Amino acid sequence: MNQRMTRDQLLRRGAVGLGALTVPGLLAACGGGGSGNASGKVNDVLNFANWELYIDTKKTLAAAGVDKPTTLEQFTKKTGIKVNYYEEVNSNPEYFAKVQGRLSRGQGIGRDILVSTDNDRFLGEYIANKWVQKLDKSLIPNIKYLISAQQHPPFDPNRDYSLPWASGMDGIAWNEDVSDPVTSVKQLFEDPKLKGKVGIWNSMGDTLGLVILENGDDPAKVTDAVFDRAMARVEKAVSSGQIRKFYGNDYAQPLDQGDLAATMAWSGDILNLGNPKLHWVVAEQGGIIWTDNMLIPLGGSVPTASTYMNFMYDPAISAQWSVGSNYISSVEGVKPDALKLDPKAASNQLLFPDAKTLSQMHQNDPKMLTNPDYNKRWLAVQGQ
Amino acid sequence: MGEFLHRHKGLTPYLLLAPGMLWLALFFLVPMGFLGYQSLQSGLFPHFQFTWEFSNFSTALSDYHTQLIRSFVYAGIATVACLVLAYPLAYWIAFRAGPWRNLFLLFIVAPFFVTYLVRTLAWLNILADQGPVVRILRDIHVLGPNGRLLATTFAVVAGITYNFFPFMALPLYVSLEQIDPRLLEAAKDLYSSPTKAFLRVTVPLSMPGIVAGTLLTFIPAAGDFINAALLGTPNQSMIGNVIQAKFLESLDYPTAASLSFILMGTILIMLLIYAKVVGSEKLTG
Amino acid sequence: MTTAVETLARPPRPSVATRAWRFVARHALTVYAILAVGYLMLPIAVVIMFSFNNPPGKFNYVWHAFTFDNWLHWNSVLGIQSALVKSLEVATLATLVATALGVMIALAIVRHRFHGRGTTNLVVFLPMSTPEIVMGSSLLTLFLNSHGTIQLGFWTIFIAHVMFIISFVVVTVKARLIGFDRHLEEAAMDLGANEWTTFQKVTLPLLAPAILAAALLGFALSIDDFVITYLNAGPVQTFPIFVWGIARVAVPPQVNVVASAIFLVAIILGLANVVWQYRAAKATRGAT
Repeated sequence: MNQRMTRDQLLRRGAVGLGALTVPGLLAACGGGGSGNASGKVNDVLNFANWELYIDTKKTLAAAGVDKPTTLEQFTKKTGIKVNYYEEVNSNPEYFAKVQGRLSRGQGIGRDILVSTDNDRFLGEYIANKWVQKLDKSLIPNIKYLISAQQHPPFDPNRDYSLPWASGMDGIAWNEDVSDPVTSVKQLFEDPKLKGKVGIWNSMGDTLGLVILENGDDPAKVTDAVFDRAMARVEKAVSSGQIRKFYGNDYAQPLDQGDLAATMAWSGDILNLGNPKLHWVVAEQGGIIWTDNMLIPLGGSVPTASTYMNFMYDPAISAQWSVGSNYISSVEGVKPDALKLDPKAASNQLLFPDAKTLSQMHQNDPKMLTNPDYNKRWLAVQGQ
Repeated sequence: MGEFLHRHKGLTPYLLLAPGMLWLALFFLVPMGFLGYQSLQSGLFPHFQFTWEFSNFSTALSDYHTQLIRSFVYAGIATVACLVLAYPLAYWIAFRAGPWRNLFLLFIVAPFFVTYLVRTLAWLNILADQGPVVRILRDIHVLGPNGRLLATTFAVVAGITYNFFPFMALPLYVSLEQIDPRLLEAAKDLYSSPTKAFLRVTVPLSMPGIVAGTLLTFIPAAGDFINAALLGTPNQSMIGNVIQAKFLESLDYPTAASLSFILMGTILIMLLIYAKVVGSEKLTG
Repeated sequence: MTTAVETLARPPRPSVATRAWRFVARHALTVYAILAVGYLMLPIAVVIMFSFNNPPGKFNYVWHAFTFDNWLHWNSVLGIQSALVKSLEVATLATLVATALGVMIALAIVRHRFHGRGTTNLVVFLPMSTPEIVMGSSLLTLFLNSHGTIQLGFWTIFIAHVMFIISFVVVTVKARLIGFDRHLEEAAMDLGANEWTTFQKVTLPLLAPAILAAALLGFALSIDDFVITYLNAGPVQTFPIFVWGIARVAVPPQVNVVASAIFLVAIILGLANVVWQYRAAKATRGAT
């Protein structure tokens, strides 16, 4: 352990926390701090931080007509590992703000798995800053079932650090009480009948992804010109009053009430609203598929987490999870199992998209998401 | 205890101050020191360097002065609205409510026990474009045929007013409650009209409450972000939204920190001017 | 020569218009008070109404059908009960401590001259003017720099809440202390009581309404706080954290049920206080 630090290192430690400049701080920084468990031992408890309502429960399974124990219960029964399931991720930036302090000091956060989305910058930050640990693929043979579209994502080309948990699709939703069908971003931004009743997301990856597709460009390869073209379109729609407001997931209420005639919307939300007057489509020029990924933060137990991931990648288990949570699975071959559990859900394109739907889906360019100038311009159009 | 305090009168203020100020010193001032350190850093997350980057402040001010000014305007309007709406209610509770007064105090504060998000979702429901309120306003031509209440400046200021109402009403009540009703009777006898009695006697006597309520409403409202986020469009964006975005989304901690100090500093300057204008004994007694 | 009877002749009876105006003016204030409370209660009424809603989907935005189910199975949503309990515990404890500390500071500032009085007064305003996100995050950094001495959880939430409540208590209590009539205290001391007894028996009871008002404000601040709490809570969930988290995917009516219940319990306590006040007033009337 090197007690002498260069001035540069000292400044960096200082930037990360004044406390590190104290002697205990220096010692901790030198030692790497974390309470990690990189040994081969599988714990008997798994601490899993996830978004709310992202997993099958007794209630949701009953509603789907599936008479089986939940996937968490089956996991515990099979492996003897108890799962402490924390529904504490309520937004990527907020959760990041909550944990980045500890992770940047090399400390654990008391979790073996956390979940973060791939269409904003934070997933990339976790990986780029080495705040997550490598998966133990020897414990995840079921990784062979990962669908090909998800095998080499730009932020983790070899799937060393992450595995998909749930996916959803970005599209357009409209309220038939207030509007005729709206099926393209062009219509959303330019149809005068919709003026002042259109919603878009405050998330750059989601909104600009769709606009870039509308312009005929590729959202996975964003150059300055591509970005400028997309931003110009958004800026025009905002300044003309076409756009009512930028939304997070809170577009659901105005859409349900009719304040919004049409809006960019996530497939899962429309399912969850349960209002037959609301319709969702993939935009004509294509949609964005986003994926929430499982990561093993510093201090987490790699073997325990890997065991759980392997369990969830069993097609039968993943099918049950998908039916019970209403989100898209990234496991190959889930549809036959889903048909056995709940035929109606299995034929729902929003839950089990077929090859044709998937072919219309694209992913964001992570370099666009982390570019500070793009970020600044995106915030500026929102008045921030 | 009594003897000790009697003999060490000079110590009393320091003894009284010590616990609370120590708490603030440790859990507010020290973190603010760290925030100050952050405001002078430069670079990109997570590799910030401390470089005495005073330009953070000037850049932030030139980039975001619109939102800063807008925040003070909105907070100002909301404060005046709160004062006008809350004063009669506080007066009634102090003088006319009798045994009902604590219940009515609860009525003022109880909406807070219902989480902010739940209250605001209810307002979003009440003020919806297709809802009864907007429809009536359109019928009587206060709003245009496509007019709306939500996603407007009105919605944001109304939201701030509603959510800060108790912070104005309770201090007003506290100061009105102590006024001897006989003073008001005497005033009514001496002055030709009840209005004059009110303006010449009641209002000055309740000044400490007006000052307290104004400060408790204006200061936090200026830094508010949530009302503009849920009820407004980009044109209503306040400095709180900018700081929130810089911190959470851009991971631009130095700018967020310097903007926070600009906000705090401006408020402090306003306080000092206010103290000079109305006399500092209004703030300290 | 005018007689005493003539000089004491009755004033002319006021006109009907004047009497009507006086009647309206007399009751206008009460009407206004009721309307004002109505305005405050409007969204709460909607919240309570929707707690009886049976929505088709996971969101509770549009009225669908009436049901008592949500109230019967109020804690069927996982985590809602413990979040509520945590919120109430933190709020009660933080309010008690912050009120005590804040009242002491207010007394010191208003009643004593000491070095740094003006500065202390200004420092008290600072927490109110600081945006929550940076205040919460900087406090988190402080806790993290304690290297494990301070664990994130209930007590860090408590510390944070006391910190931001103190200022509000100080300003509210000051509104009562400024212009406080010292004659009663002086009379007590003339009669032989020392400072401490005077404070206990005279000052404190007179301050009680202000202290209660400040405590109510503090409780409201604590039970509704999200940003600072979220950053410093570690694994603990309070009710606002729970609601913000769940609202991303659903707003189950049980959230409305719990929110309504908190509100109704508070009002019931208020009504109990009304009865108690009536009884106390009757007792003093009977005694005179």
